[in-house]
Amino acid sequence: MESSDSSDKGNLDQSEAQRQSQLDRLDREEAFYQFVNNLSEEDYRLMRDNNLLGTPGEITEEELLRRLHQVKEGPPQQNSDENRGAESAEDVSNGDSIIDWLNSVRQTGNTTRSGQRGNQSWRAVSRTNPNSGDFRFSLEINVNRNNGNTNPETENEPSVEPSSGEDLENSQSDSEIPRSESPSIRQPGSERSTSEELTTEEASPPRGQRRARSRSPEQRRTRARTDRSRSPINPVSETPRRAHHNTSSQTLDHSSVNEAEGSSRTRQHVTLRQHTVGTEMPSENAVLFSAPETRPAPQAAGSSETNGSSESATPGQRPPTIVLDLQVRRVRPGEYRQRDSIANRTRSRSQTPNNTVTYESERGGFRRTFSRSERAGVRTYVSTIRIPIRRILNTGLSETTSVAIQTMLRQIMTGFGELSYFMYSDSDADPSGPTPNQNVDASEPQNGGGGSSSNEGTDASSGEVYEGGNEGGSTSGARREGRNTRGSVTFEESGSLPFLSLAQFFLLNEDDDDQPRGLTKEQIDNLTMRNFGESDALKTCSVCITEYTEGNKLRKLPCSHEYHVHCIDRWLSENSTCPICRRAVLASGNRESVV
Amino acid sequence: MQRASRLKRELALLSTEPPPGITCWQNENQLDDLRAQILGSADTPYEKGIFNLEIVVPERYPFEPPKIRFLTPIYHPNIDSAGRICLDVLKLPPKGAWRPSLNISTLLTSVQLLMAEPNPDDPLMADISSEYKYNKQLFLINAKEWTKKYASQQKRASEEERNQSETSTKESIPQKRKGSNINKKEKKSRLDS
Repeated sequence: MESSDSSDKGNLDQSEAQRQSQLDRLDREEAFYQFVNNLSEEDYRLMRDNNLLGTPGEITEEELLRRLHQVKEGPPQQNSDENRGAESAEDVSNGDSIIDWLNSVRQTGNTTRSGQRGNQSWRAVSRTNPNSGDFRFSLEINVNRNNGNTNPETENEPSVEPSSGEDLENSQSDSEIPRSESPSIRQPGSERSTSEELTTEEASPPRGQRRARSRSPEQRRTRARTDRSRSPINPVSETPRRAHHNTSSQTLDHSSVNEAEGSSRTRQHVTLRQHTVGTEMPSENAVLFSAPETRPAPQAAGSSETNGSSESATPGQRPPTIVLDLQVRRVRPGEYRQRDSIANRTRSRSQTPNNTVTYESERGGFRRTFSRSERAGVRTYVSTIRIPIRRILNTGLSETTSVAIQTMLRQIMTGFGELSYFMYSDSDADPSGPTPNQNVDASEPQNGGGGSSSNEGTDASSGEVYEGGNEGGSTSGARREGRNTRGSVTFEESGSLPFLSLAQFFLLNEDDDDQPRGLTKEQIDNLTMRNFGESDALKTCSVCITEYTEGNKLRKLPCSHEYHVHCIDRWLSENSTCPICRRAVLASGNRESVV
Repeated sequence: MQRASRLKRELALLSTEPPPGITCWQNENQLDDLRAQILGSADTPYEKGIFNLEIVVPERYPFEPPKIRFLTPIYHPNIDSAGRICLDVLKLPPKGAWRPSLNISTLLTSVQLLMAEPNPDDPLMADISSEYKYNKQLFLINAKEWTKKYASQQKRASEEERNQSETSTKESIPQKRKGSNINKKEKKSRLDS
């Protein structure tokens, strides 16, 4: 309709057609409202949160119904979907299904999902706390070596297999995978203060073996800690290090010494932390990225990273795994500020293998990315995303995997605008950069040790531009253009991992929430809602100028003004004031909802 | 979202109980492109003038305000030569004051009010604004002259004729061009001030 407004004015035929289409549209709109009004509250919320409601007048009732059924049936189907063996089937569903699943998870809470593709199997676990809006998600990708490349360290293979079996089992049985524990440990309140201790202590039991093997676990740990403690203070310093990692991965040298060690798997956690220090602003967004990477570390290197090597020596380790851990946390105005500041300093990782190096960084600049929400002044919003990625090089991760990680990280980060700076310094700058510190040196040999040639290739490519299909988050549209240019990352074998779409999922959702001055879904849902009854004085929704009819769902703002739920929800998703009296919804809304 | 059904209702209301001095109708039967006329109120320099306005209703209406623009040139501190109107209710919050409980009728009434009560402190046309502030007599003369020149009955009638002979497409294009040219000047002059 709007396309016609300037050019076609004179054309009678067209205007006739337009009229007809407008009439159709009107019909559809009526149908839409009927449909929406007949929805139960749950269904309504489900559909709204999944953005399935579309635009009245454009979407047909049938389509709405179909979507509703889809959404309703979606979660259970996917949950029961355990055919990990069926590779081809999973192939198709890969990325999208994860997204669907994520969407469903938002409602249903805790879920596990797994799938397999090629020699990679993935398992996604998520938990939602409906009350707080916290959302945790972890994705673990196992690469089955058997199908994969043959590495120098063939010895490990036998041992690896059994463990992989375990993993599979776990994933199928329930969401409580060993790794998934980590999120719980990281619970904001307790975690933050104790985090450092936790990190070390929490090494998972299975890894105890490896630890024993390692020569000086304690030392290493302490080292790691020191590193970590340092880093938060000067985020910048962190970047070079990470860069080193990359560099190291790029190095192709195989040192025989390393190889001996190389059989071992080292784990390294690189935690990138971006935090909004938002004391001044009512609303803030914090995104935490933690990206632990595993890398073979030669003991010779003697840096904290070396510690990992000891671990690696242990046979019977798990298959190469990539773990993604995302945490999304919402914070209502003022509530968690304290915690957040603590969070800046500390963090714990349950998954920590011996040589955990946690880099933390925080940047106030990050805030700017979310400045729109800040401007609202009304809305407080904090989201936390952590993405630990564990990478085991010598077990023969395929190139794509590590590339994928990098890519995804980068996408996510670039997605957040300012964050891209990090990624850049991390990955792009690295290769060229000199290796200033110990770690660098250490890391290089390490990689060599880990080094099947394939690994190296991967890392190298990851640093810069990836060949292949997907451009980072390209789907997200015009708004993200800036990001796309920056993070023009392409990804080999785009379909092979669900990463990209995942990144997009989060980015997109971030986008939703990122709406300039609007309220979050939780905040909107906290407003009272009721059904219109005949006994009510005749009233009209001033958004759609339609009189309420029996059974209409109304939402009442703190100022006592009422509207159709679907009308006011949309307005509040972008604005924070009452359409009638312009009073701020949130300030008073919070008071009410908290009590 | 609710655009179509809401517009239908609004138009019905506008035709049955139009605000005094205001008429509004669909242009070429398009739901999202409306035309309106505002009569210059008595005791204003726009008295007896008939001012045409264009109302473009965005897809997201009523969550976004309609775009209202004067088609008839008007000499006014808050209305630029492209016909754009500087009025808070025509803009989205937080800068503006648009809200879905407003409607086209109320907006047109606001515009009518603005015509009667210019706001020189938030000027769009810097020179007209300072003239209004510091040399009101001159402003009144100019405004009346413009009204007579562009918005008088006769003028309107002849314009109507011309409109009918011309296709409206042609009509709208030159207007837009004019608008954009002037916009640049606009900005400049605002900077200067």
